[in-house]
Amino acid sequence: MKKLAILLVVALVAAAPFVVGGYETNVLMNALLYVILATGLNLVAGYCGQFSFAQGAFYGIGAYTTAILSRDLGTGFWFNFPVGIAVAGLFGLLLGIPALRLKGHFLAIVTIAFQTIVYLTLSQWTSFTGGQTGLPVPSIGPVSLFGTTLFEITSLRSYFWFTLVIAVILLFAVWRLLQSRIGREWIAIRDDETLASAVGLDTTRGKLTAFVGSAALAGAAGVITAHAMRGVTPDDFTIWISATVVAMMIVGGKGTFIGPIIGAVLLTSMPEFLGGFAEYKMFLFGVLLVITVTLLPEGLIGRVRRLRERFS
Amino acid sequence: MTSVPVLEAKNLTRRFGGVVAVNDVSLRVGRSEIVGLIGPNGSGKSTMVNLITGELPADGGRLIFDGADISSQPSYRRARLGMARSFQMLRLFLSLSVEENLLLAHHIRMKSSMFDTIIARRSAVEEENSVRKRARELLAWFDLEEFADNPVSALSIGQQRMVELARGLISEPKLFVLDEPAAGLSPPNVDRLITLIHRMRDEFGMSILLVEHDMRVVRDLCDHVVVLDSGVMIAKGIPEMVVKDPVVVEAYIGSGWKRRAKA
Ligand SMILES: Nc1ncnc2c1ncn2[C@@H]1O[C@H](COP(=O)(O)OP(=O)(O)O)[C@@H](O)[C@H]1O
Ligand SMILES: [Mg+2]
Repeated sequence: MKKLAILLVVALVAAAPFVVGGYETNVLMNALLYVILATGLNLVAGYCGQFSFAQGAFYGIGAYTTAILSRDLGTGFWFNFPVGIAVAGLFGLLLGIPALRLKGHFLAIVTIAFQTIVYLTLSQWTSFTGGQTGLPVPSIGPVSLFGTTLFEITSLRSYFWFTLVIAVILLFAVWRLLQSRIGREWIAIRDDETLASAVGLDTTRGKLTAFVGSAALAGAAGVITAHAMRGVTPDDFTIWISATVVAMMIVGGKGTFIGPIIGAVLLTSMPEFLGGFAEYKMFLFGVLLVITVTLLPEGLIGRVRRLRERFS
Repeated sequence: MTSVPVLEAKNLTRRFGGVVAVNDVSLRVGRSEIVGLIGPNGSGKSTMVNLITGELPADGGRLIFDGADISSQPSYRRARLGMARSFQMLRLFLSLSVEENLLLAHHIRMKSSMFDTIIARRSAVEEENSVRKRARELLAWFDLEEFADNPVSALSIGQQRMVELARGLISEPKLFVLDEPAAGLSPPNVDRLITLIHRMRDEFGMSILLVEHDMRVVRDLCDHVVVLDSGVMIAKGIPEMVVKDPVVVEAYIGSGWKRRAKA
């Protein structure tokens, strides 16, 4: 039943480009990327309880990894994709290490600092990153197996379908991760770190795994977006991206699997309905965030669950 | 069985600023022994527990657990070596179910790797199922089976105390350190607790270090008692003798404990 519903939703999303125009397809594609980003942040912040404001930085690290690799080594997407994930994961580990000693606001400040350092590096180290003008990235192009071309990823539609496939695979992996021992351990660390250690859990390892997993997902989204956009600029990976991802996770409902997905779709599509007011979207996200935090501490999904319990 | 004690604490010391909360205290817990740690409020019992289980670093002294020096091991390592504990201020994972609280404490005994559980390898699934079965059995032992899927926050204090004990048991510890397990329990529940602790020792062969306020519990359960006052060990021996020791009685009177000592 549940499987059928999920299949149906995925099929509907996949069929969307046949119904809507190119602009809307682009919005949907963005929504998919944000679903990956918000789901990633949710691992470290929602499940493990370690707040991070750096998801945009890891997104950028993934994107720039593939841009620099294709510039310097001429390698294509299939090589760059795992490398981009790994490099972002490595930086996740790097941020995780100081984070081990910090909590709450102090941790948030360190992640903001990290985000800022990454942005400054991308925009100022011109010889390596191309500076403010960024770098061009080739399209993914033809995908072939044993010498025969299966399909080509060049058009917007093909990118959208490709991203959908990747997103479904990543979400499935995350779901399995959360059902496994490690998911339970992350919740334990969030609930009570002292107790988690007392029952024998290596909380250092648990937190670092969450940081790495979270960053790796952002890295995956980054590699895809770099190819889809045919290029990267530092302004695609600012702290505003991080703030948007945080808002998505919280509005949807952190610490639940489905919450950040709903939050990402909602906040990506919302500005499209605002017409001329779309440029105030960050303001709107801020207001939504404040409303959620004060009125719906468990996010939209938490409220929906409460209502469902009451009526059943 | 060998005569190597499960736990040997040697000259443990811990200061908080100017306060010496634990001052050069030594104690040993033999195999399948129940050792009591008593003393007035603020005498350093919980601090002693935290030094033993590793929640607090010691300023001096050594800890030998099962023949090995564990003085520099962090608390999660001590747990893996076979130490379990309960907390004076009850601690459970509040957003998890009763069963999940137990499962977490058994993670350290599980053999399948993280990767095995993610790809749901057959052996990992079987192990998880057998651990769940074990958790249910233990919960049945504590009359909590029907609450397995409830969030722990839905239970009464008395039931939560029992979940804490079950959590310790499922990790199959060599030493179970209990910090005032009777606190907040009604008299009939205290009786149940005494029976359960007896059974834990007799049926699981466990060694227990029991911090307790309630003299009745101490007299019913403990083979040996160590008495602390202001961080210093002032007496030790079998419960009957220790309660009569004038130094101990003096410490009790000083803190209004005579009533309880006689009760
Ligand atoms: N974390 C701490 N920081 C400062 N002082 C503490 C701390 N924990 C305990 N103490 C002090 O150490 C002494 C012993 O406390 P405790 O071990 O809790 O005693 P007991 O468990 O016997 O009631 C008390 O004076 C207490 O105030
Ligand atoms: Mg105490």
